[in-house]
Amino acid sequence: MNTKKEFKSPVGGAIVDPAKQSMMLAALYIAQEQNGYLTKEAVQQVAKRLGMTPGDVYSTASFYSLFRMKPVGRYVIQVCEGISCYLNDGAERVADYVSEKLGIKLGETTRDGMFTLETVQCLASCGTAPAMRVNDQLYENLSPAIIDDILERLMGEV
Amino acid sequence: MPNLIIDDLPIEVPAGTKVIEAAEQLGIIIPRFCYHKALGSVGACRMCAVKFLQGPFKGVQMSCLIDAQDGMVVSTTDEEAVAFRKFIIELLMLNHPHDCPVCDEGGQCLLQDMTVAGGHSLRRYLGRKRTYRDQNLGVFIAHEMNRCIHCYRCSRFYQEFAGYRDLGPTQIANRVYFGRFEDGQLESPFSGNLVDLCPTGVYTDKPARFQGRRWDFERLPSLCIHCSLGCNTIANARYRAVVRVEARFNDAVNGFFICDRGRFGFPYTNQPERPRQARIDGNESSLEDAVAGAGRKLADIAHRAGPNAIACLGSRRSSLETQGLLNHLCQLMQWAEPDYFLDPLLKKKVKSAISQLDSRVAVSLRQVETADFILAVGVDPLGEAPMLALAMRQAQRKEATVAVIDPRPVPLPFSFEHLAVPTWEMNGCLKLLMEEAMRKEDEKSAARDRMAAEEGWLRNNPASAEIRRQIAQLAALFQASRNPVLICGTDIVPEATPAVVGAWARSLLEEKGKCGLFYVLPDANAFGAGLLGAANDHAFLETVGAIERGEVRALIAVESDPFERFPDRSRLEQALAKLELLLVLDYVPSPMVQQAHIFLPTSTLFETGSTFINQEGRIQIAQPVYHGGTPLSQMNGGGHPPRVYAGGLPGGEPKPAWQLLIDLAGALSLAIETGAVENPLSLVASAHPLLAGLKNTSSLLDGVRCLPDVADAEPVPADMDPAVGPGTENELQLLFVDSIFGAEELSQYADVIRQVEGEPCLYMHTQDAERLGLVEGDRVLLTLDAGAIEARVCPSQSMAPGTLVLPRRRKLEWQKAKSFSTRVTPDRIEKLK
Repeated sequence: MNTKKEFKSPVGGAIVDPAKQSMMLAALYIAQEQNGYLTKEAVQQVAKRLGMTPGDVYSTASFYSLFRMKPVGRYVIQVCEGISCYLNDGAERVADYVSEKLGIKLGETTRDGMFTLETVQCLASCGTAPAMRVNDQLYENLSPAIIDDILERLMGEV
Repeated sequence: MPNLIIDDLPIEVPAGTKVIEAAEQLGIIIPRFCYHKALGSVGACRMCAVKFLQGPFKGVQMSCLIDAQDGMVVSTTDEEAVAFRKFIIELLMLNHPHDCPVCDEGGQCLLQDMTVAGGHSLRRYLGRKRTYRDQNLGVFIAHEMNRCIHCYRCSRFYQEFAGYRDLGPTQIANRVYFGRFEDGQLESPFSGNLVDLCPTGVYTDKPARFQGRRWDFERLPSLCIHCSLGCNTIANARYRAVVRVEARFNDAVNGFFICDRGRFGFPYTNQPERPRQARIDGNESSLEDAVAGAGRKLADIAHRAGPNAIACLGSRRSSLETQGLLNHLCQLMQWAEPDYFLDPLLKKKVKSAISQLDSRVAVSLRQVETADFILAVGVDPLGEAPMLALAMRQAQRKEATVAVIDPRPVPLPFSFEHLAVPTWEMNGCLKLLMEEAMRKEDEKSAARDRMAAEEGWLRNNPASAEIRRQIAQLAALFQASRNPVLICGTDIVPEATPAVVGAWARSLLEEKGKCGLFYVLPDANAFGAGLLGAANDHAFLETVGAIERGEVRALIAVESDPFERFPDRSRLEQALAKLELLLVLDYVPSPMVQQAHIFLPTSTLFETGSTFINQEGRIQIAQPVYHGGTPLSQMNGGGHPPRVYAGGLPGGEPKPAWQLLIDLAGALSLAIETGAVENPLSLVASAHPLLAGLKNTSSLLDGVRCLPDVADAEPVPADMDPAVGPGTENELQLLFVDSIFGAEELSQYADVIRQVEGEPCLYMHTQDAERLGLVEGDRVLLTLDAGAIEARVCPSQSMAPGTLVLPRRRKLEWQKAKSFSTRVTPDRIEKLK
């Protein structure tokens, strides 16, 4: 018999509702948008709303590298290191340039909490390589001057 | 039935058997890390590679993933397969620390064994090792993730097998991490099995950490006596202390696993407070003097006041030997037969339950796993017999329907149908389900109409409509089932229930050809106590009355602490104070020991080795694991043992209780049959026809069930309705119940168990809580007849309205209740600010 009754116990254990379980990735994505990463509270909140344990949610969230479990800067710069960007003037050079300019290494966040620098595999912008993404905004045909422009504008926005 | 050849040996196995399993049947153990019989295959470790020479598969393949098929020719020793396994070891060792000497698993580590066996002794890879941060998983389990080889045994056991979800895999690929969302005590009461399952040292037994290597231990088969299931264990002792208890495989009882109460509840045998010295009137004395003194006093009292002035209180946690000797002593001395029960009602229920069992219907714990319909009546498996919950879950995983008739908020790690009715309606509920399930199809609708019209059976119960719907649904499933198992508790059920369930099981057996019957009894040797206990309804409650009236002047309490379960503490204290002689034999520092005039220290099952009968009627034998004596850690400030030889074992005075009873008989100038000293069970054999097999030798009887072919069952009482009715509109029935941690007598002497038992909770139905103006987390003062106790309110939707449930925690002083069954009016519950 399939019983829908929610199961709660003082010693733990939970029966998971598949319909709710299927909403998890979307829920995590929304939760991540709040702070740029998944806070402990966000994971707990998602778990609560979906009738699952925080462990279940964390298990899924930590599986996907696009869910971040640690704080990031206000702007996350993702430099493409796909094959086209690599060949087309070198993705490494773009990453190195940004890295030098901001004074952070790959995976790090500037001390003022403004920028996080990381590389990603492909931004599907091969025709306009090299490319990078800052939060949800895509920047193409990058050159040092364009990068300077972008960064200065972002710094100025604060 | 596929025929195949493994290492030149032919074997025929049932279809669906994996090659690794088929090889095991031939005695060929293929190396493995992730494969486990109870958990199945995942193919995570690649360690069980063998070479398929002929048949549908060719080349090196994983033997845990491939079903044995006709025509297969398999080699486990083929060069290519051996080389493959060798590389796997090297691969797994890339990230594994090279520090076996400081790892608690060293010496009993599968990875260590395989590394040595595979000949991997030189590290070729010079890169850095992957490291993790460990978590604090609570008091039972230590966590060292760096040692992980990602076999997934832990999460498969924890989540799939046991049904708890707070520990599991996180992250991805080379970073996979097995842990919790955040640090904290593991929620599963079966977490200790991670220690046995983990092939390396990720999970180790925290209380036993660094207490010794496996080869240091005195290590022998033992039994768990923390509930009636009698799970098989292996006890490890070192330096005169039991250090660790592990699960021992038994295909008829517990399978591979045990619960945490059984694994971590043993420290009562080591505790510094354990009374090891005989005492007369509070002064230490030699054991001989104390026995002689007790003999003199007993003879004197019997001389002055007759044999009836001496009463005996046996124990359901005592071995069969002790129970048998106590019975025999009473017979010889013409004393009244010993009481094993405090409450006459409980005695009736246990005796009735035992009488229902026979070899046709009685099923083992493992057979519960194969049921396709389980009906549990008046039993809270996690609280009363934890491993039963795990067995029921295995059945449920195979699509069995599980229904529980119980007023408590029964927590089980799987979905089940809960008929939460008060105790006085359990029989009615059972009867309805029974009638409905036995009825032919065409009669059904008419019967349902009649049922709807019958308002009488579920009184004051707003959930009754819902329960009727559940019953109709369950009855249909029950009818379709081919292998139902009926489980019945003996603690909170009305008197008639065990007999009703037993009678139904037998009639189902006739109808379906198959039906299991499984009782949960109070304490490890309740079965023995039920067989040996007097046939009448006499229980210790009456003895207390007799003491108060001055009729009984001497009490012999053998490994029994009535303070644990007697509902009126002050009355018991006063009664005991009136005794001329209170002779106590025990191995725990119970309040009885404090009050005793003469105290004789007894040895624990780890020291004696003893025989117990579990709730299924299975005779099981625990071996003596070590010689006893004060643990070395408690002598010389834990330093080196003294370098001189001294006579005797320090702290080794305790003797088996049955031995002391023989000595006592000697002091009373009685001759106990010769032969009893060598084989005390020979006396038990004559006490009950079912135990006749114990006459000659007990060693052959390990695991044999002492059950009749056809039960001479006690009939169902004509009046099925329990004495406790619904009471008046407002009254609430207060149930004192067991809980996994903190309410069981022996395990609560363990520090770690006390740490996890949690705060005492008063469970009540949400609507009762609303009526009383209480919400979750409120603290209340519950006024009982002899004083008030404080507890936290836990409202629950999934329990019977009109019922309050209170676990018998030692720190609760629930013994202020004064009687075994209690009802309280709402004004007795006062909310604390």
